[in-house]
Amino acid sequence: MSHAVLDPRVAPEFPKAALPVLRDTQLRKNVAHATDVIQAKRAKLVAEKKDWQELRTAAAAIRDNVLGNLGDYLEQFEERCTAAGGQVHWASDAAEARRIILDILREEQAREVIKIKTMTSAEIDLNPALKSAGVHAIETDLAELILQLGKEEPSHIVVPALHVNRSQVREIFSKSMHLEGLSDEPQALTAAARSYLRNKFLTIPTAISGANYLVAETGSVVIVESEGNGRMCLTLPRTLITLAGIEKIIPRFEDLEVMLQILARSATGERMNPYNSLWTGVTEGDGPQRFHVVLLDNGRSEILARKTERQTLRCIRCGACQNTCPVYRQTGGHAYGSVYGGPIGAILTPQLMHMEHAQSLPYASSLCGACYEVCPVKINIPEVLIELRAQVVDQDRHKTSRLFDPMYMGMRMANSVFASAGRFRAAQRLGRTALKPFTGKDGWIRSLPGLGAKWTITRDLRGLPEQSFREWWEKQGRKMP
Amino acid sequence: MTVATSSRQSILDRIRKATAAGGGTGDDELQRGYIRKGSLNEDERIALMTERLREYDAEVVESGVADLPATIAAELFAGGKKVLAAPQGLPAQWLAQGVNWRIDGNLDYAELDGVEGVVTAASAGIAESGTIVLHHGPQEGRRVLSLLPDWHLCILRASQIVQTLPEYFALYPHPPALATMLSGPSATADIEMTRIKGVHGPRFLHVVIVRDAAQTRTGATSSAGAGQAG
Repeated sequence: MSHAVLDPRVAPEFPKAALPVLRDTQLRKNVAHATDVIQAKRAKLVAEKKDWQELRTAAAAIRDNVLGNLGDYLEQFEERCTAAGGQVHWASDAAEARRIILDILREEQAREVIKIKTMTSAEIDLNPALKSAGVHAIETDLAELILQLGKEEPSHIVVPALHVNRSQVREIFSKSMHLEGLSDEPQALTAAARSYLRNKFLTIPTAISGANYLVAETGSVVIVESEGNGRMCLTLPRTLITLAGIEKIIPRFEDLEVMLQILARSATGERMNPYNSLWTGVTEGDGPQRFHVVLLDNGRSEILARKTERQTLRCIRCGACQNTCPVYRQTGGHAYGSVYGGPIGAILTPQLMHMEHAQSLPYASSLCGACYEVCPVKINIPEVLIELRAQVVDQDRHKTSRLFDPMYMGMRMANSVFASAGRFRAAQRLGRTALKPFTGKDGWIRSLPGLGAKWTITRDLRGLPEQSFREWWEKQGRKMP
Repeated sequence: MTVATSSRQSILDRIRKATAAGGGTGDDELQRGYIRKGSLNEDERIALMTERLREYDAEVVESGVADLPATIAAELFAGGKKVLAAPQGLPAQWLAQGVNWRIDGNLDYAELDGVEGVVTAASAGIAESGTIVLHHGPQEGRRVLSLLPDWHLCILRASQIVQTLPEYFALYPHPPALATMLSGPSATADIEMTRIKGVHGPRFLHVVIVRDAAQTRTGATSSAGAGQAG
């Protein structure tokens, strides 16, 4: 199994990070199997929904409305949540969010916390911060538990351990839970996780969660899940801390009628997740009596300001784009060097990094558009990818290193050649002579030396023809206009 | 405190600046062209609800209103359940004889973890996705009550079943403060996408669908699983 680096600030560029994965046939098999299964289930359940396109349209409109009026909705959420007994905190960046959470934990004198799967907590590197503050975090989602005990990194936003197969899970569990003779049947492995976590649920008084939706109208929070570990964390502890990106807002309770219909179908290929939980602040006699929401910006308000890129924030983290992406399906998530991999990660990660890191990710796509087609909130991912590519190019437009970069030298040469008819014709004649020795009898070039090999190593190149159209035309005795 | 306040202000300022140019649609312009109203009659709704619940491996039986206590008792005895929890508001006639009932007032987690099951009512059913909704009122109990016991018997009245999810939301112009939607028993597919029933939530979900509207017409007789004509 690979030990991936999921910090965009230090992760290697995508093409480099992808290489070891492409050689790991077991990992590729695991990823292909999981994405095939989810895709087939999703396709079946989307097909039975006659109003699927109308639901997508409404979902995109709801999300756009949220983003266009985000300030008002956040204030409304804060007011209602506070009125219901919750406490709302605002965090400009990851460091501030970590500080807020650690302060609350210190006040609670917490030595241990139980956690529901939250990608946002991975985004802000919460677990390492908890560890250095002496707080033991226990992941309770089965996939997250596998990753935590196996010291692995998540590779998918919905099924984070999809790159790990049953015998690998067996190995991890039998070692860390001291269970000898554990079978590799998923049923037995799941039962092992159940008994491992049961007592922790019953006794640990502090929990940390993410959020799927924050309802502005009521101040409620919604979490969808399958296993019941979420319900345990949301119900049993004395104190609950919810970390949520500021874009997780939906205006009204009623909007869930759209969001819940598209989310489960897109994410796991189910008509509905086994469990959806909604709660509002604190309810006397039911669930945690201390409730904190940490609203996280961490680059989101910058994305909001950009016209083409704003749609990135419509995302509801269903992962459908990952399952369908021909690039992700080959590389899995780790090659993206971020907790957010796949097409959505390719646009979200560099933007969350203020375009200062992960600049190779917008190129990790063939622009085939499959992600746009399945996206339940209609994010035009290819459009954003192209916009970000342009920004990456613009970033080093004035760098001196560009002067001597072979690619840019070639581009400058091409610029000068294409700018003049004379130079263009001279280049054609020169090219014909120069390429002749490499051109086969069938007119194809299969191998070039030096820089040209970068092309021919993976594809053939058409040789230059004996004469150009211009030359043929002139030979016919006709005049150039 | 000042740091927190200033972060709040700076985030809101950045958002307001980013959205000042407009671009967000007003709420009134939202297109809601999706299907909101269902087209099934009550029998068809019940049949769909039953089918979907069974797809989740939930056990489903039907009952009339008058024979509901007998149906509940039969379910409990068939499951061999002797020690059961129940919310305070559960109707007294549902509490079958011969069972050691732990009525929830302030049962602690260890007690709840030790019972063999729980019986609750429901707030709504959504047939299309086989979903049961609990709003955690007196008949459904607090959230932990239907979470810790491994076996959950849920009493759902036919008149509470809607076909589509939007129909459920239309029923509640005043949103509940708490809601749990159950679509089958706890499950995971995290290991090789193999669906495994029962991770942390109750592993067994039994549902009694009570034909409360049909009861007056048919004279309170009904049998488990049999669809009634008109």
